[in-house]
Amino acid sequence: MSGGRGGPADRAGAVPAGSDGQRSTRARGPGRLLIAVYGIFALATTARAGFQIATKFTEAPLAYLLSAVAALVYIVATISLARPGVRAYRVSFAAVTLELVGVITVGVLSIFDARAFPSETVWSAFGRGYGFVPLVLPVLGLIWLRRNRPERTVP
Amino acid sequence: MIDPFFVVGVLVCAMAAVLCLGAALLRQPPNDVTILSTAAVELFLLAYAVGAVVRQVTGEPVLGEAWEFWGYLLTALLVPVAAFWWAILDKSRWSNIVLAAAGITVFVMLFRMEQIWAGEAGL
Repeated sequence: MSGGRGGPADRAGAVPAGSDGQRSTRARGPGRLLIAVYGIFALATTARAGFQIATKFTEAPLAYLLSAVAALVYIVATISLARPGVRAYRVSFAAVTLELVGVITVGVLSIFDARAFPSETVWSAFGRGYGFVPLVLPVLGLIWLRRNRPERTVP
Repeated sequence: MIDPFFVVGVLVCAMAAVLCLGAALLRQPPNDVTILSTAAVELFLLAYAVGAVVRQVTGEPVLGEAWEFWGYLLTALLVPVAAFWWAILDKSRWSNIVLAAAGITVFVMLFRMEQIWAGEAGL
């Protein structure tokens, strides 16, 4: 399970890698980038949802509430992915799954019921306004989580 | 007319992104080159902030929402710092892609700031 899966060029001297003690295995290697992108989305969607709700909530309450939900999902995913432990793993799994369900649901609805979903949320049209990153991100997130499952008791 | 600040910013961000991605392709952990390129992005943003203050007080104010512009700018100033902190804690080639992502993010934010300054934006 453990072992040098990350970058081969790593200098193992700097960080006590390998020992899964308190450092999250999910925050190493590619996970570093994944969490960084989640962080960027958490920041961007929180700012946007805050702006939308503060200035024009009545225009499209459902869409803007969804913006806020999306922002919350990104925040939870970012923090739980970065933290070690089985509980954080479960939380991040739930958050990333919810994100995937959200982007697909809102993506489909925004195409069939454009009025309820003006293309102003992250997940509208499968995240087209964000280069479809919102659609790719949860898939990569689930793959990463699957490859970094916490240790289980050997059957 | 294109804002010269924007041209410089695009060049600095592009240079940082290319250098960091190149280093990642060469399987390098963050090194002087990639860290300095990220520092250059931060330095540009500081210069941009000074320039924005000067333009604001010399009668060439933001045409869009002022608080939105300054919100963007303050957030953008934090991006290279946060990316640097996050990247150096794990010395792998992926950390260089994190630094590259910071350059790309700052570019997108700069693009939005320019739109807000020209008053052609709206979230």
